[in-house]
Amino acid sequence: MTASLTSDLRLAWRLTRGSDRREGWRIALTATGAALATGFALAAGALASLRGDHVSVSLAEGLLSRPGTRAGVILALLLLLVPVLGFLGQCARIGAVHRDRRLAGLRLAGATPGQVRRIAALETGLACLLGSAVATAASVPVLLGTWERPAVLTWVVLALVAVSVPALGAATGALALRRVVASPLGWVRRVGPARSGRGPGRLFLVSLLLVAGLALLAANTTSAGPRGPMQLRTPMTVFAALLGVGAGAVWLSGAVCRLVGRTLAGRARSAATLIAAERLRDDPWAAARTHAAVLLVTVMGTGFVGVRQAFLDTLYEDRQLGESITYYTTGLDLTAAAIAVGLVITLSALAVGTAESLSTRRRGLAAQAAAGVQRAVLHRALILETALPLAPSLLVAGAGGAAVGAGYSAVTASGSLPWAALLVPLTVYAACLLSAATALPLLRRTLRPSELRHA
Amino acid sequence: MSNGDNTAGPLLAGRGLVKAHGRTEALRGAGVELNAGEILALTGPSGSGKSTLMHCLSGIVRPDAGTVTYAGRRLEELPEERLSELRRTEFGVVFQFGQLIPELTAADNVALPLMLAGADRATARSAAAEWLERFGARGQEDLRPGEMSGGQAQRTALARALVTGPRVVFADEPTGALDSLAGEQLMTALVHTARETGTAVLLITHDAQVAAYADREVRLRDGVLAPQGVAA
Amino acid sequence: MYAVHNGAMSTRHILLGLLASGPSHGYDLKRRHDERFPQARPLAYGQVYTTLQRLVRDGLAEVEGTGSDGGPERTMYRATDEGTRELTCWAGEIAPPAPFVTNEIFAKVVVSILADGDPAAYLRAQRAAHMDRMRELTAVKSAKGADLATVLSADFALNHLDADLRWMTTTADRLTTLTAEVDTA
Repeated sequence: MTASLTSDLRLAWRLTRGSDRREGWRIALTATGAALATGFALAAGALASLRGDHVSVSLAEGLLSRPGTRAGVILALLLLLVPVLGFLGQCARIGAVHRDRRLAGLRLAGATPGQVRRIAALETGLACLLGSAVATAASVPVLLGTWERPAVLTWVVLALVAVSVPALGAATGALALRRVVASPLGWVRRVGPARSGRGPGRLFLVSLLLVAGLALLAANTTSAGPRGPMQLRTPMTVFAALLGVGAGAVWLSGAVCRLVGRTLAGRARSAATLIAAERLRDDPWAAARTHAAVLLVTVMGTGFVGVRQAFLDTLYEDRQLGESITYYTTGLDLTAAAIAVGLVITLSALAVGTAESLSTRRRGLAAQAAAGVQRAVLHRALILETALPLAPSLLVAGAGGAAVGAGYSAVTASGSLPWAALLVPLTVYAACLLSAATALPLLRRTLRPSELRHA
Repeated sequence: MSNGDNTAGPLLAGRGLVKAHGRTEALRGAGVELNAGEILALTGPSGSGKSTLMHCLSGIVRPDAGTVTYAGRRLEELPEERLSELRRTEFGVVFQFGQLIPELTAADNVALPLMLAGADRATARSAAAEWLERFGARGQEDLRPGEMSGGQAQRTALARALVTGPRVVFADEPTGALDSLAGEQLMTALVHTARETGTAVLLITHDAQVAAYADREVRLRDGVLAPQGVAA
Repeated sequence: MYAVHNGAMSTRHILLGLLASGPSHGYDLKRRHDERFPQARPLAYGQVYTTLQRLVRDGLAEVEGTGSDGGPERTMYRATDEGTRELTCWAGEIAPPAPFVTNEIFAKVVVSILADGDPAAYLRAQRAAHMDRMRELTAVKSAKGADLATVLSADFALNHLDADLRWMTTTADRLTTLTAEVDTA
């Protein structure tokens, strides 16, 4: 067993070294994603390992010292894992067609399904291990610097997180290949772009469930004291709602992509719209995977801006709370920062996804340019692929978020309407188009005639 | 773009063409002439520079040295947008595979060049259907490339190359991915249409039986023209 | 011209095959032969006549009678039962794959090397001649309304010419090596 693992490792290493520079990108981006995931999970884990009031943690205006607000921070950190998982999902797609072919080739050359699965697991797992190691190494000094005497439990949690991120990555890598392992011939002989054809990525939902479960557990254990049904109800409700919104977002963006594609494909007048619409109709879930995270961030962002305004209004009205206002504003700022980080990660995933879809179709695109299809048309088609389906879903997400804000404002009777919140979906939309546009230089390079020489 | 015909000389001529890909010299001073309405086969072993020569002649790549003249115009003097326009309007290109947009139906793929030229979708699609029928692809308008056989895909590609009424069609191993019967049907369709419409064809192939569809053969070897034999 | 089939052996069987559809006379057989095998060497009438006589001698065909149809008097022939059996037997028999290489092009190349000639120039000229013939055959084959027999016979010839051509291309590439071998032998 050990011997075969070493030989598999050697083979995985040689395959990785022999592949082109895209493989390097995949490893670097996967490692980055893994590092982020480890970082968030470590912070959440470390906080969750605390018991009761801890005056020893002197960060963020004492937000971390109280069980109630600490649970909120843990929740935020775990929620940040959602866009990170989306990002990792995009990274896994880089060079997916080539990797599938390569591993199917291994199967044809006589490798056992187990061997191929191990190699695939190693390819992803090692990249995740790299990211996790970097993140862990960076967080230990931070922990020692801010925390006087970390408990044994904290260390155990740290070790668990550091190990489980690469383990989960490896498992995902092996799982994603199950169809290649099942039918090597079909995958080697397949021509044309990869088509997943599956609905809202089951993997994505499973990971979401996992995160939700963890968060529940963490919130539950942190809130020391009597554990009545009342205490459980709030986090439960929040998670149920978020889970619903998450699944709904994936489903909504998939449905919108397909609807927009189908409607426009029939009516498209210009070549760029036709190409973009047909691509959406053909594989709506490819776009939905990234767009779902965008929607989630938009709902939360819009809702947050509304809630924040109403909350601050109430706060300034009755100052007799006896608390320093900074205690609350720090909390709000931290939440804002968390949402911003989530948006940045989501946008990165969008950019990676766009770049990957270009690199998969590079020969076809070069052939279009050779046949005289204007670059501007191909540029427009690329941007439209992001712009068309996002517009209606962002409208709905923005409206949903605004409704949350307005609802809160009505409950607290602050009376202020969160108009500023409406800027959030617009900003997100503009940011998404910009991040899709980052792929344009790559498209320009893809259209070079030298790409015609690649099969 | 005006059709500045100079009927005296060849329609398309490349002279002294040199092109290197990195350190490999694909073309080392090759030249070729194509007359209006002529079907010319460009043959030679793999790596002899056939595709690179075609890319230079069609304005897809710019040669490092040498000239390409099309209907009295020097291609090397045209900016990229004009070259792209030329390829779109006066040239048609067929590759071995992969030139169709996988997400578009056969009819939309063929209609695309017309839509790029400003035709509305309905007109473009009905013209596309006519061309598909001409190439024996009737009833396949709504198939996507992934659902087509190799022969169907190449017939669609031919229809797409000819739909704008080009004066030159460049075909780079158009039958390379087909079995011999499908290849024969494709070549027959190409030759008949080219003759009927007076379109010149530059046909790249390593298969003598495909080259035999042409009026004339030019052989390339190591980036230059191989000496031509004369049948006594 | 390229003969698709050669020798009197197959002429016998082809005439028997043409007779299988019913009694016929010599001139009609020649006309039908030339129609069915358009790319083959046309049959001389004399050859048809002698072959028919041999078929009668061997008991594979017999004289049906004479008819005139208003024109000159003609002898009608028909296949005997033995002739039909012989035809079925021949049609199912495999043709022996060419056991010896006795090709003129090959011989000329070798002789040209031995006699210090220019085999490369010869191969180029031969290639051009082959291509000319292949173009003719392709034009015949792809003409509108070409019938199946025409297409099949043109294909047969084209594939043989293509085989020659491929051999010539490889040989031209090997000439330097080949010259060294013949010279030292």
